Amino acid sequence: MKRVGVFVCHCGINIAGTVDVERVVEVLREDPRIAYATNYIYMCSDPGQDMVADAIREQELDAVVIAACSPTLHETTFRNVSATAGINPYMCEIANIREQCSWVHTDVDRATDKAIRIIRSIVEKVHGNEALEPIPVPVTRRAMVIGGGVGGIQAALDIANAGLEVILVEREPSIGGHMAQLSETFPTLDCSQCILTPKMVEVSKHPNVRLMTYSEVEDVSGYVGNFHVRIRRHAPSVNWSTCTGCGDCMEKCPSKVPSEFDRGLTERGAIYVPFPQAVPNKPVIDRDACIYYRTGKCRLCEKVCQIGAIVFDQRDEIVEEDVGAIIVATGYDTLPCADLGEYGSGEVPDVIDGLAFERLLSASGPTTGKVRRPSDGKTPKEVVFVQCAGSRDPERYKAYCSKICCMYTAKHALLYKHRVHDGQPYIFYIDVRTGGKGYEEFYHRTEEEEGVVYLRGKVSKIFRDGDKSVVWGTDTLTGRNIEIRADLVVLATAIVSQPGVQDLVRKLKIQVDKDGFLSEAHPKLRPVESITTGFYLAGCAQGPKDIPETVAQASGAASKVIGLLANDEMQHDPTVAYVDEDLCGACRICISVCPYDAREFDEEKGVATVNEALCEGCGACVAACGCGATQQRNLTDGQIREMISASLGEA
Amino acid sequence: MINLPYYPGCTLKQRSSHLESSAIAAMEKLGVRLSEIDPWTCCGAVPPPSSERIMNLIAPVRMLRALRDSGENRLVTICDFCYNVLKRANHSMRTDDLRRKRVNAFLRENEPVRDYLPEEEPYGLPDYSGEVRVYHLMEYIRDEIGYERLSKEVSGRLEGMPIASYYGCVMLRPRKEIELDDPENPTIMEAFVSALHATPVPYPYRTECCGSYLSVSAPDASSRLAAKILGSARDHGAKGVVVSCPLCFYNLESRQEQIARSSPGFKPMPVIFFTQLLAIALGIDDPDVLGFGMHRTSLEGLLGASAIGAASGSGREKDR
Amino acid sequence: MDDRRSETEEQRLLLRKEAVRGEFGLSVDELSGQHLYACYQCGNCSAGCPLASEMDILPSMVMRLAQLGQKDELLASRTIWICASCFQCTVRCPRGIDIQQVMDALRQMALREKVDHFGPDDIDPGLAATVPQPGLVSAYRKLST
Repeated sequence: MKRVGVFVCHCGINIAGTVDVERVVEVLREDPRIAYATNYIYMCSDPGQDMVADAIREQELDAVVIAACSPTLHETTFRNVSATAGINPYMCEIANIREQCSWVHTDVDRATDKAIRIIRSIVEKVHGNEALEPIPVPVTRRAMVIGGGVGGIQAALDIANAGLEVILVEREPSIGGHMAQLSETFPTLDCSQCILTPKMVEVSKHPNVRLMTYSEVEDVSGYVGNFHVRIRRHAPSVNWSTCTGCGDCMEKCPSKVPSEFDRGLTERGAIYVPFPQAVPNKPVIDRDACIYYRTGKCRLCEKVCQIGAIVFDQRDEIVEEDVGAIIVATGYDTLPCADLGEYGSGEVPDVIDGLAFERLLSASGPTTGKVRRPSDGKTPKEVVFVQCAGSRDPERYKAYCSKICCMYTAKHALLYKHRVHDGQPYIFYIDVRTGGKGYEEFYHRTEEEEGVVYLRGKVSKIFRDGDKSVVWGTDTLTGRNIEIRADLVVLATAIVSQPGVQDLVRKLKIQVDKDGFLSEAHPKLRPVESITTGFYLAGCAQGPKDIPETVAQASGAASKVIGLLANDEMQHDPTVAYVDEDLCGACRICISVCPYDAREFDEEKGVATVNEALCEGCGACVAACGCGATQQRNLTDGQIREMISASLGEA
Repeated sequence: MINLPYYPGCTLKQRSSHLESSAIAAMEKLGVRLSEIDPWTCCGAVPPPSSERIMNLIAPVRMLRALRDSGENRLVTICDFCYNVLKRANHSMRTDDLRRKRVNAFLRENEPVRDYLPEEEPYGLPDYSGEVRVYHLMEYIRDEIGYERLSKEVSGRLEGMPIASYYGCVMLRPRKEIELDDPENPTIMEAFVSALHATPVPYPYRTECCGSYLSVSAPDASSRLAAKILGSARDHGAKGVVVSCPLCFYNLESRQEQIARSSPGFKPMPVIFFTQLLAIALGIDDPDVLGFGMHRTSLEGLLGASAIGAASGSGREKDR
Repeated sequence: MDDRRSETEEQRLLLRKEAVRGEFGLSVDELSGQHLYACYQCGNCSAGCPLASEMDILPSMVMRLAQLGQKDELLASRTIWICASCFQCTVRCPRGIDIQQVMDALRQMALREKVDHFGPDDIDPGLAATVPQPGLVSAYRKLST
């Protein structure tokens, strides 16, 4: 029989406040299956860890049970302690008496009884455990980043600078994302394009970066360290290797559609680059807008292109690549103004959203930075900014706070005031949220120095009256309703997930929350990892955030990837499924239930097998196996039976 | 001829009889006979507040349940208040288990009223759970007749006439229970006006309240609201305002003299029920049917003198 | 100076735990079927209220005073009698509160404690003879016992 030691943690009062830890130890010391038992206030602290290591040596323990918090927190900690003290780390198990006991009970006697039962059941488990070694899995030392906004660019650069190859996939014809649309950034007011475009160029020229714009991930198979991806490169209908980017084709194109980049404030041709600083600076033909693709006539671009770079019959190309890790940085969209019925459903011409206002403020925008309203091009003298347009509204729109609107609205009002000195900005807000370095100071500056009038209340209705946009709001601080006959209204529309995100997560087999934002593995301790191993998250795809946060998360994700890809092989948890080939009935049910494609069939032997590199140890096949042939290492049916008996026995 | 179960409600039998007479005649022309359900009672008009919120459901559910038991699954009503009450009672029966059980238990007349709720129906027909679809007449025209067909059936008598639609409150709100149209940007009335070949006039006050029952308790407040609504419609080029609710009609039409007294600069504005407009478009000019005699504000600005003259001959003014 | 000071002191709302989340708030919740504390004071109900200009306190302030248990002030307000139950606030409330139900509840509480706000003698006879029934029923059901 193994000599098993039990270490009961008080976790301050987290456990000891509800579980009588002294009594637990007293009872366990009487147990013939337990060789040693003790308790300590913080087992995870340095003295606590030493206590465990010393006991293993002095008491000649073969296995240990740490009765403390959830194994997701400190299992690794104590397995490392065990290894240091000379026993196999898989001889260390955690009995969770905090989340599953002390935190959810109030009655001390019954909680103590339950804690003893939990510990005894884990003691039985560890008696049945075998010593295991991690499974080595080879790693493809390349990464893929999906999304070429500032987050994706930063992540790609960090990985590339670490000497690893990166594929950067961007759906649009140019990288840059929403940041390329912005005028100046809060709270420092540095020009967005001035700080972004050098990074765009750097990433496109980096020898370790393979840039694929106008491309989308078609599907992903494999597992961490060994992903196989198929990428669809949309046909630009232009031979990019010969095109010089002279722009003659774009000038001549007779088709006109609203420019996405300028939020519909200007028009672009069917053959276009999204903006002058685009990377790559090569045009694509939007086939839905192109007259030739719709009617079979035109081909004007072909005629003007002196080097014959237009290729009308160019086809999409599928590129296949192997990568070891994937960063998802697909960014955000904003709630369409058309969804906001009470704000005119997007039909009032001088009611625009924040990104459109960014274009109006931008020196490279349609008005070269002069604030002109869309309806008649006049300079608006009274501008109303409406915050929480679709945010913080669980009943009709989005329940969450979009986080960046308070700051960018303050910035909008300030920049407007800088451009139109005799203009008056008003901001309707519910709460002003300025958590961030220099943010609160910036907000005070707009209020105090720039003469922005803040009105506390939500706007109820906006409608057009003549050339004015009438805003009905309230100021709850004075208890007075407000009407402003504005020249221009800017809506801080809610940040929403990309419309195509559901499709993408289905391909990647990663998870999103109810609002369509990517789910992180742990909200506090693993904020840049997806729940599915090998996928990492950066930027607004995971939730609304501003530029510094996005960049920080991108660098965090990149460093995780660099760590993962630092070695030629990685260690896989050995608590996987295995098959007793004599018992296997060849029914193959295990193959159908496995969510990781880890179960295979050996036609020669006529038995089911396990791909240990793919197996996540979820136990689905173990439960499904009718003949008991499939078992899980260190969690066999026999162990589970013993654990149940121990937890039901006399306490 | 389609027989359509019809709930008139109290107002249409008396003070807004021209809403009913024009509706019945116009629908006949469209091949639909509005056949009054029998018996019917008051729907309750407005729910009284109480912690149980049960009593206000008894009257409407009794009628709806009886209608279902007679094999019908549709009911049309014209008055916005009746529509609101019936629709909300239906919604409650569909979504609120406890209230459905309580109301049905109450209605099971042969049984003693018990203060506990049986798990299973002991006998008899199953609980009423909102099976009857309640239509507003305009909704029936939109969904079952179709505006496309309607525009083919009507004459060009209203061609190009600039008419503002006034929705009021209870036809569209509360949204989740009524679900007739988007309460912020409704289209049902404008599309109806278009189908009659008239020109719908958009204006911002079309869903702003007219004051409802405040014309009884705070008439001046009601007048101020009505002046804004009618003034806004006029400013946007309307020559008339179409309504569907008897109380809206009263507040916007019958009280224009009081409105003028409290709002200097107010100019009279013709107001007409959608059913009257429909009847005219379908070529009806029987004065008893159109009931222009019930109007207090001249329709001349909208329909022209000759049309009024022909239609208001006998002038039914029994309630005035 | 001292007098003015004491005057301002008196104007403070004296909050006690009995008032905040107390019996009054629970009664409003029960009568209205709503949750007062769902309100986060965005002011949308006030901003869109067509009758706000006739009110002494805005609907959002009614919600706030109810949260703070200020029964007497609410039941004495003009606002609760001016609300026409048009549901504009209800359809726009981001938290899904049926605010006109809260108004109804407050009216009901006032009526239970005091005399009718609008009695049978208050109506103009000419009006009584012509106004459609829903107007009469609503007025008397909401404004009198």
